[in-house]
Amino acid sequence: MRFLHLILRSFLRSKRRTVLTILSIAVSVALVAILQSVLATLDGFANNPDASNRIVVRHKVSITNMLPMRYEEWIRQQPEVDTVMGLQWFQGVYIDRRNFFPNFASEAEYVTAIFKEEIVDYSDTQYRDFLRDRNGCIVGRALADKFGWKVGDVIALQSEIFPLTVRLTVRCIFKSKRPSDEMGLHFHYKLLEEGVFYMKGRTGNFFVRVRHPDDVPKIIERIDRHFRDAVEPTLSETENAFQLEFLKMMGNYTAIIQMITGAVLVAILIVTANTMAMAIRERTTEIAVFRAMGFRTGQLLFLLMGEGILLSVLGGLFGLGLAWVMAGAIRNVAGTFLPYLQNFSIDPGTMALCFQATLGVGLLSTFIPAYRATRRPIVDGLRSL
Amino acid sequence: MALLYAILVPYLAWLTWAALRYPVPLSYNWRSLWQRKVSTCSTAGAIGVVVAIFVVVLSLDQGLSRAFVSSGRGDQAIVIRPNSRVELSSTIERDKMRILKTSPLVVEDATGPLISSECVVVRSLEKADGDGTANVSVRGLEPAGIRMRDQVRLVQGRWITPGLNEMVVPRRMQGRFMGLGLGKKQTFGGRSWEVVGVFDGAGSAFDSEIWVDVVALMQAYRRTMFSSALVRLRSAEQVPGFAQMVDQDKRLKLEVRAEPDYYADQTEAGQPIRILGNLITVILTVGAIFAAMNTMYASVASRTQEIGTLRALGFRQHELMASFQWEALMLCGLGGVVGVILSLGFNGIQTGATNFQTFSDVSFAFLITPALMAKGLAFSLFMGLAGGGLPAWRASRIPLTEAMKGG
Repeated sequence: MRFLHLILRSFLRSKRRTVLTILSIAVSVALVAILQSVLATLDGFANNPDASNRIVVRHKVSITNMLPMRYEEWIRQQPEVDTVMGLQWFQGVYIDRRNFFPNFASEAEYVTAIFKEEIVDYSDTQYRDFLRDRNGCIVGRALADKFGWKVGDVIALQSEIFPLTVRLTVRCIFKSKRPSDEMGLHFHYKLLEEGVFYMKGRTGNFFVRVRHPDDVPKIIERIDRHFRDAVEPTLSETENAFQLEFLKMMGNYTAIIQMITGAVLVAILIVTANTMAMAIRERTTEIAVFRAMGFRTGQLLFLLMGEGILLSVLGGLFGLGLAWVMAGAIRNVAGTFLPYLQNFSIDPGTMALCFQATLGVGLLSTFIPAYRATRRPIVDGLRSL
Repeated sequence: MALLYAILVPYLAWLTWAALRYPVPLSYNWRSLWQRKVSTCSTAGAIGVVVAIFVVVLSLDQGLSRAFVSSGRGDQAIVIRPNSRVELSSTIERDKMRILKTSPLVVEDATGPLISSECVVVRSLEKADGDGTANVSVRGLEPAGIRMRDQVRLVQGRWITPGLNEMVVPRRMQGRFMGLGLGKKQTFGGRSWEVVGVFDGAGSAFDSEIWVDVVALMQAYRRTMFSSALVRLRSAEQVPGFAQMVDQDKRLKLEVRAEPDYYADQTEAGQPIRILGNLITVILTVGAIFAAMNTMYASVASRTQEIGTLRALGFRQHELMASFQWEALMLCGLGGVVGVILSLGFNGIQTGATNFQTFSDVSFAFLITPALMAKGLAFSLFMGLAGGGLPAWRASRIPLTEAMKGG
């Protein structure tokens, strides 16, 4: 580290250039970090460890087809099954479409048993109130805070799927481990069944809690086999696979994001290489003098590369900071139209990935100009300028 | 935005005037750029990549919007249940449909009245690339419904026969999904449906739909209600009148939307792309401006002597500033051209996205329009203005004596 001082000096030789390069690397890295975090966040939904012993049963034809409610009893009788609950995505709009949050018509008595991992902390009296009141609903703390709801407030949800508007009284507010799990609302399934005639005795999905995760494949197979020849055949899958199916709908976005990441990295590579080439060209004479003084090629290469890596590492760190600041804003904006992003944050894995990428860019971009500079005959170098 | 224009427009006007009025020849700048080939190429290359990303992302949105916008006819209207917003969640009872069908405003052609009662369901199909399944809209329609969509052409086979379990599929979907070849069979609603024809929807939303007979579909799905009705009227001016008539009929309680309006609303499906595109654009622009600035500063610094000579020849400070600004514009414009050419490689590639309102897949192509290319180019010039301004200012402020000394 004897040369650290030397590296720093040449690094600060042209402050404006250094600052501009760091800034342009930083914004690009920030973009890469954000895009990659979007992907990582989406992946997280399909890899939820809390859902490991939950199964979702749906109609085999598509998610918009309904299943008869009577299937529930057969599923419940299976010895490995702990609880079953009918659940229907209601897509209710609260005042304005932008106030999006997931809301479900669920069989109230099973909600806490099925979502044990999400609905963690709630008062028993409040929950009893919810069970007693057919117009009641149970909401997450984060959601209640967002709209300033208190227990006893009445909220109206107009469904975009069903010809029905429900007026619900907030009866119970629950807390979870993660704020993103506190964004849901459940109300009595009966309310939907009574309000929409074609929903009588029908539901969109069954959520099944299996006693032991090892039994999950067995149960999935048994349910589908049992209903295979029924008029309404079923398709069962783990909750994670069910989520994955929604994410796959964005399959092409994933490819596009990966492509953009690649292109941005190429752009950073070019920009950094350009800066380093400029910085090194300026110093042709200096490098020749160094070599005349007895510096070896390897040492000079080390000096120049050190400078390039310092440049990209600083840019990368700054960019990650920038991304971290922007993540909060994105959570607020994007969360409203893509519910998956309500939980958006830059996780350490992505940070490490971006950091490695910038390091790689630093190495690659400096190597060629530095290598060429050190290969140049000393006499030529001394003569130029 | 308006403020931005307020600054940019006078500045651009001044630049143009300066180029015409003052004789620092533009060829001088062009040749200077090629003095530093590597630096110029790499900066232009980086800007090119940025512009290409910008154009490609926006072309996705463009393609998606095209799919919806080109779907409607001004003189046709869609009837749906109020508040349902999309056909998929709409329901119309049979007796209401009968009332609609007898409306005096509906136009007739040689075969019969141009009104089609339709039923839309969603079916998951296996993707051709083996990446699981995607949801696809299946539309049940009457023969009139096929005639009413005149942008749709049959390219292979024949149209469906009413009452039979047959389907016609769009050509654009054949490459993206399995089992849609002519003569292949698909099972849904407990029946087997044979592909009897292939059609081309000319880039409209119908390129993402499988068409079957409405009666057969409703029987298979045991549905008693239609989803929507498509109605042809004498002219676009009659749409409000028809809407009023439906509105005043107490038996109906339905909503009428002009077909183009209905599809224009669906372009909301492109919103995630637009937001992503804007985010990327803003961030990358800032980065590219810094890169352009860097190159221009370096270029100014290495030409101190030249600048001194120009000043000594009698060129004035603002003339030099304009000259350097032009050089930055050339540099970035070059990048813009490279970017647009790069992005053209994507034109016409088929892709799909999910319309989250209907949970179904929309097939469309990247569409790079001349307007979009112009936007990309304008965007690169903006980078040139923003990135070249400060270095140009600096070039014009170098004291003459210092410049003559050679810095």
